[in-house]
Amino acid sequence: MSVKQTVRPEPEAEPARPVRRPRRGHRLQRFGPAYLMLVPFALLFLVFLVYPLGRSLYYSLTDFNGIRSPELVGFENFTTLIFEDDRFHTAIWNTFKYVIASVALTTALGLLLAMSFKSTSMRDRLLRTVFFLPSVSAGVGVVLVWKWIFMVDSWGLANTISRFLGGGNKAWLAEPTLSVPILVVLAVWGGVGYAMVLFVAGVNAIPDELYEQASIDGASKVRQFWHITLPMLRPVTVFVVITSTIGAFQIFEPVYLLWNRSSSIVGGPIDSALTIVPYLYDMGFNRFQLGYASAIAWVLFFIIFIVTLIQLRVTRTFKEF
Amino acid sequence: MSVATVIEADRVDKKPRKRPNLLGELARLPLYLWAAVVLIPFWWMIIAAFKTVPELMRNPPTFFPQSPSADSFYDPEYTGPGGDPDHVAGVFQRWDDVAGGFLRFAFNSFMVTVVVTVLSLLIASLAAYMMTKTAAPGRRIIFVVIISSMMIPWQVSLIPNYLLVSDLGMTDSYLGYIVPGLAKAFVVFFLVQYLRSIPDDLVHAARVDGASEWRIWWKIILPLLRPALAAMAIFVALAEWNNFLWPLIIIRSDELFNLPVALSNLNNAIVSSPGSMGVAMAASMLATLPTVVFFFMFQKHFIKGIALSGIKA
Repeated sequence: MSVKQTVRPEPEAEPARPVRRPRRGHRLQRFGPAYLMLVPFALLFLVFLVYPLGRSLYYSLTDFNGIRSPELVGFENFTTLIFEDDRFHTAIWNTFKYVIASVALTTALGLLLAMSFKSTSMRDRLLRTVFFLPSVSAGVGVVLVWKWIFMVDSWGLANTISRFLGGGNKAWLAEPTLSVPILVVLAVWGGVGYAMVLFVAGVNAIPDELYEQASIDGASKVRQFWHITLPMLRPVTVFVVITSTIGAFQIFEPVYLLWNRSSSIVGGPIDSALTIVPYLYDMGFNRFQLGYASAIAWVLFFIIFIVTLIQLRVTRTFKEF
Repeated sequence: MSVATVIEADRVDKKPRKRPNLLGELARLPLYLWAAVVLIPFWWMIIAAFKTVPELMRNPPTFFPQSPSADSFYDPEYTGPGGDPDHVAGVFQRWDDVAGGFLRFAFNSFMVTVVVTVLSLLIASLAAYMMTKTAAPGRRIIFVVIISSMMIPWQVSLIPNYLLVSDLGMTDSYLGYIVPGLAKAFVVFFLVQYLRSIPDDLVHAARVDGASEWRIWWKIILPLLRPALAAMAIFVALAEWNNFLWPLIIIRSDELFNLPVALSNLNNAIVSSPGSMGVAMAASMLATLPTVVFFFMFQKHFIKGIALSGIKA
């Protein structure tokens, strides 16, 4: 024990406001309205988010079918998921393929579009509107349109185009190798405009002086893109990549709607379109394995969490270059 | 980058650095082609909605309806199931067990969207005000807790929420459909960020004048928040209009279907009768059209809202 610790000086802030410290009742009176304003949000937040999260964590450790009371089984759901459940492994593998392809394409093509149509000219604004339109109309309706396009019959649009290009008719939605690519097409069609808008905002926020200076120094357009535009766009790129990754992991509607033959079958031909959330839905609401489905939900959280951390770490490393 | 720079960047007309040259335009050609391709699904949807059943199944397909008809919406020659296969029940002839049919679903979607948007923004703005413009102890830790919840995908609370709503006897009701989704953490996050960039002077002045916290929120904060609220309203409304999984689980009776669930219902019907695809396209068109109109009405807010969300993060 040193002497310093025994003769600890008074905290410096203390003498500055010795009289003004309000009593407890006083404080409640003063901030009562402020706390009252938080009540509606806080109440809903606690009841429909925090409490269900706790319950979900508990269910994930139980065997629970919604009727019998949940029975604690420890980590059995998780070990089954990770080591035994082939359907889940398929779902994970499909999800990863889908996430990587759709995020990479959406980001790269969004940047390409932003660089090509970034001005406020009539033409650029019109084209931006066209590319953004699918993002606005996302939903069940457009998935049905795609289903109509990929009809197996020879009069489907995809087949008509395929024949025109010399490819012949295909059973698009019955062909396992085409399932993930079709999901990626839908994702890029629906998401690229959104990425483009973010990149346009980012590109236009880069000060002109940087480019002017570089031009004077004789830097080519390509060099300017690599050494000014890309580094300056880093924060926007991180945002685009991370938000679209999180969104992509949660894909549900297209899988559920494109391949359903009856409402109780999820996942497409030999589960080639099965991803994590549709599997969760299948386990939870078709088979009523609520404990098991809760465990799937937590694995989903864990995967998203780890992937986001890795992305943040990777981009931070890039920054140091 | 700050909020101001984005808004400015939007306003300042950038001079093109170089005259458009032929080579540049040539390089852009594939992009123009792509833009055309992007629109094809919309075109395909619209023309399918106005084709007759025999024309829908013609090979090769027609790219303009040869004899445009509104049969997909309402077919006067439809005689009931088992009748002429060339005439199927139109959008407004289906769900005859529900008063209003398809219009009822449109009403449900509209009503729920409006209620969710207004209520969720109001309660979030109250919370955001409390956390930025008052000195109430604990406000920072509350903010951190709310923000952390954004990391957890909402599907994690799906099952317990379903059970909770069942326990409360709220399944198959507007209440069970609306209430669990009202506390939106990302809206609070966005509004807090926005309020932080606004100086406290006005609020202080109002307090000195003896205005109550509620009055300050209503008279000063809400008007100040208008651009941020507009951006968030668009996000929330669009998400709610397209909300599918939650109503799919929570709604049982047809009267309470929203448009996405009704469309999914139609999707099941198509499997047994491909001739109904035109009806599905007509219904999809009716469900998608409002969002497109909405977008063209508020295009500026849309774009600004997205740009801001990117910069804020």
